[in-house]
Amino acid sequence: MSVEHYWAPRTLDEALGHLAGGDVTILAGGTDLMPQKNAGRVRLGRGLLNLSRVDALRGVAVEKGCLRIGALATITELLAHAAVREHADVLAQACDRFASDQLRNAATIGGNVCNASPAGDTLVPLLVLDAEVELASRPNGSVATRTLPLAAFLTGPGRTARAPHELLVALRVPLRRAPAVGRFFKFGTRPALDISTISIGFAASRDGGTLRDVRLAYGAVAPVPMRSHAAEAALDGAALTDATIARAAAAAREDVRPIDDVRASAWYRRELVFNMTRRILDDVAHA
Amino acid sequence: MTVIAKESLIGKRVAKLDAPEKASGRTRYVHDLDLPGQLHARILRSSRVHARIVSIDTSRARALPGVHAVLTAADVPWQRPLGVGRDQLPLKGDRVRSLRDEIAAVAAETVEIAEAALRLVDVVYEDLPPLTDVRAALAPGAPVIHEGRPPTKGAERPDAASHPNVAMTFDYAQGDVAAGEAASDVVVDGWFRLHYVTHCCMGVSGMIAQFDATGNLTLHSNTQVPFLHKREFAEILGIDPGRIRIIQPPIGGGFGSKLDIYPFEPICVFLAKATGRPVKLVFTREEEFLASPTRQPVLLRLTSGARRDGTLTFRVCETLHDNGAYTSWGATTPFVMMQTISSLYRVPHVRYHTTAAYTNNPYAGSFRGYGNLQATFAVEQQMDELAEKLGIDPLAFRLRNAQDPGEVTPQGMHFRTCGLKECLATAAGASGFLAKHAAARAAQRAPGRVKRGVGMASMLHVGGGAKIYPSDGCGTILKIDDFAHVTLITGASEIGQGSETVLAQLVCEELGVPLDAITVVNNDTDITPWDVGVHASRTTFIGGNSAIGAARKAKAKILAAAARSAGCAEAELDLRGGHIVRAASGEAVTTLAKLLRSLHFSDRAELVMTTHYYEPPSRHQDAAYKGDVSAAYAWATQVVEVEVDTDTGVVRLVKVTGAHDVGRVLNRLGIEGQIEGGIVMGQGYALTEDLVVDHGVVRNPAFRDYKLVTAPEIPAMDVHFIETMDGEGPQGAKGVGEAPAICMAAATANAIANATGVRLRELPFTPEKVYRALRSAAG
Ligand SMILES: Cc1cc2nc3c(=O)[nH]c(=O)nc-3n(C[C@H](O)[C@H](O)[C@H](O)COP(=O)(O)OP(=O)(O)OC[C@H]3O[C@@H](n4cnc5c(N)ncnc54)[C@H](O)[C@@H]3O)c2cc1C
Repeated sequence: MSVEHYWAPRTLDEALGHLAGGDVTILAGGTDLMPQKNAGRVRLGRGLLNLSRVDALRGVAVEKGCLRIGALATITELLAHAAVREHADVLAQACDRFASDQLRNAATIGGNVCNASPAGDTLVPLLVLDAEVELASRPNGSVATRTLPLAAFLTGPGRTARAPHELLVALRVPLRRAPAVGRFFKFGTRPALDISTISIGFAASRDGGTLRDVRLAYGAVAPVPMRSHAAEAALDGAALTDATIARAAAAAREDVRPIDDVRASAWYRRELVFNMTRRILDDVAHA
Repeated sequence: MTVIAKESLIGKRVAKLDAPEKASGRTRYVHDLDLPGQLHARILRSSRVHARIVSIDTSRARALPGVHAVLTAADVPWQRPLGVGRDQLPLKGDRVRSLRDEIAAVAAETVEIAEAALRLVDVVYEDLPPLTDVRAALAPGAPVIHEGRPPTKGAERPDAASHPNVAMTFDYAQGDVAAGEAASDVVVDGWFRLHYVTHCCMGVSGMIAQFDATGNLTLHSNTQVPFLHKREFAEILGIDPGRIRIIQPPIGGGFGSKLDIYPFEPICVFLAKATGRPVKLVFTREEEFLASPTRQPVLLRLTSGARRDGTLTFRVCETLHDNGAYTSWGATTPFVMMQTISSLYRVPHVRYHTTAAYTNNPYAGSFRGYGNLQATFAVEQQMDELAEKLGIDPLAFRLRNAQDPGEVTPQGMHFRTCGLKECLATAAGASGFLAKHAAARAAQRAPGRVKRGVGMASMLHVGGGAKIYPSDGCGTILKIDDFAHVTLITGASEIGQGSETVLAQLVCEELGVPLDAITVVNNDTDITPWDVGVHASRTTFIGGNSAIGAARKAKAKILAAAARSAGCAEAELDLRGGHIVRAASGEAVTTLAKLLRSLHFSDRAELVMTTHYYEPPSRHQDAAYKGDVSAAYAWATQVVEVEVDTDTGVVRLVKVTGAHDVGRVLNRLGIEGQIEGGIVMGQGYALTEDLVVDHGVVRNPAFRDYKLVTAPEIPAMDVHFIETMDGEGPQGAKGVGEAPAICMAAATANAIANATGVRLRELPFTPEKVYRALRSAAG
């Protein structure tokens, strides 16, 4: 079966209206969708909804105690945006390890989140930033929105809590007052254009020699990107000594649930989780 | 009076003649060609690794609108076996032996229709036990892949041919290994495992086949061996080779991949015949990964010995080649491997044996370096191991055993020029090898998670063609028109390596004309004279000598005419800057164009057109694989500096210092590109590229998971040229095409060992593999 309708609406209302009709595939940058379609892994619905002209989905702004990132913001835009550097540095770092320039110009953050790959590179920093997703729909004529924590939105590899008639409108990152540290680490077999074998996001606020509000997340080591609460607990309120660092790294290694695939074995992913968590924390301790 | 100074193009940085077209996107590859009335073809491949075909039903596919032909083996009962081993039919009828096997082919109005038709072909299989481990293939009672097939060529010794899965064997010996063992004070021994990689040409495989009204066949083909393929196609199709014309569009990379004939090529012709229309068949990228040849995977055991004084005593090498389901050139890589084993260094006693065994895996073809990457990987690691055991530094140990000019090796290779010692000294000197090696060794156990190391490897490769066939020659036709424009018509094929530019340079040098006064024609068997093909790093050497020969004949004719009209001796005249000049003073006598017109439009009515055929003074090897197979030999040493991250196993190449005996630099820009590209290809082989073949299935047929090296990983490079001025080479040059890829894996292994104390004998050195090795060494 092939696509029967193609829409490229300009308003959110129209877009949601088309979605309400059912069996519609959403197209943003297409950098996940098209390869997946060509490989026969996804089937396009009867309708194809191109979001690229919906201005309401664009833009990055600070509003109501949040950094609000429109679903259509591209990786290139995030990299260039001062507010992202200021309030979500760990996300900016991840964007700097994302694919290549050509991809970054097309790939959107909404597409990365909705694609829900365990290796999606914006998911790990968004998790450590306690991001929320903003969803909209038009079930019976009027627009309804709801907000979910990202952790609740991601339900499995390639699966989310988004209903078929819902659109991801924006991501919201709460602003924090305390001076913060953030680190993103991505491991692939080469420095550019690689899918993460593992990734690590770290954020915390600094209170003299100790860390507070520690958030540590891992990608490509479980069905969905995950926080390691055990490692966070080992670090929270503690001074970053070698012993603390080793304890946290070991806790993270216990927490993750990696698999063997063509890119790496589960054993090696666990080793990387330990070694690289230690390296990041060493780096923070000596910064 | 105009005086014209003598200017030489040799050694200059000359942009490739095809660069403006390529850089501006104008080049039309086979993918871009469309003939009027053309149909598009797709091939249905096996979905089983090893199976009997119970039935094929094409009726639904044939009924699809837009489909012009659906062919299976039943439709071409006259098809004949093809390839190096003549062990497969283009379309498989009763049995499939690997996942790439061709079962049916469709020609349709569009690619999409052809693809839809493939999905409508119903094939019923009955699985047979798959055989995907090369050791298991030789076990007693193993399933037989090709029943009733004697081993092919190369297998002069029947003793090794006992198992029915043996496709080919090679045996070579020199000296007396028992005596060598007895004389040894130290011996090292190890197994090495070399993996699958593939060429990754930017241009995927493809061709267009077209019959004219009288049954003449024209092929637009990317082949590297157009003249040999005329014969092959004729045999398979049962037609007169004289009726086949091969036109090569610009080729988007070869690297050896287009040296054999593959099933898709005759299949495309079958479809053209069946439909009476031109048929175009171009692979998808995924198909290119699945159904084009790989580098030969090898299991190799090497034992080497030396005396306390640092002289090599013997080598014993045994290899097991996974032949895959069919035999292509990969099986014959022992020709080259044994040269490195026997003659890279002086070693009096050698025994070499290869068994190539059939499996249900993909099959291997020829690939830049042709077995030499594999052999060098083992030999050069053992050079380091022996040096270590003897307490001699790796450089001194190599110098002690290096070949010298004039040497005739026990295998019969005659090194008329040999720059190996200079290569060793130059690469080591420029990189600061000895100091870095000693420092890294001392720091192996020091704290710090990132270790640095340095490693070296050298190589020997044919540099003056290789007499694999009865002839290793190349023909040239040269004409100069009445405006002094030169057309060089050469049999030598261009596959992106820059040969047409070098050939043009060599002709311009003889005729004293600028580069823009020459056109090279090199892609049409109806026009160009015979050539054996583009392989074995031979084109500059063989095609170059052929072009020079034709140019010299033209020059002699021109100077004779000029001397007649100037009333002087020919030797007093020369050609420079498009003029006839007095050789002594450079004073212009007349323009070349005027002289040519005076010949042409006179009562002599003479055109300057010459031909030349060059056959190198090399020998076909005898049945014991002895003989001077090449007219010259190329040498190189590469020093690789690495950083090994012991937390991740990531090996980063910091710098490569290379010294290459290239005879002489002809086009400096071209040769730098060739060497840098080869280094990067060798880097991919060593570190990142890995075609994962899992029980006969290629798991990563896409660039997402098949990792080519990308720009940020390319190391700093410092390349030095050793100019030994080969007496037989064109202007002294030797072949260089394959050389730069050969040392990299071996030198990288040695550098990792220097950095970490851990020796890796299994490629590629991916982070996980390195990390595992470091961890298990740490206990
Ligand atoms: C060569 C290459 C390299 C890559 N490298 C990386 C990398 O380094 N890191 C990484 O994380 N990813 C990488 N990717 C994957 C991909 O580029 C990213 O996931 C990208 O962010 C997807 O965004 P997109 O706009 O292209 O999404 P699309 O492909 O358009 O959409 C992806 C999915 O999300 C849905 N969707 C999109 N927008 C919305 C919305 N607003 N609401 C609801 N559903 C929506 C679509 O229906 C589709 O299912 C790479 C891809 C390629 C081809």
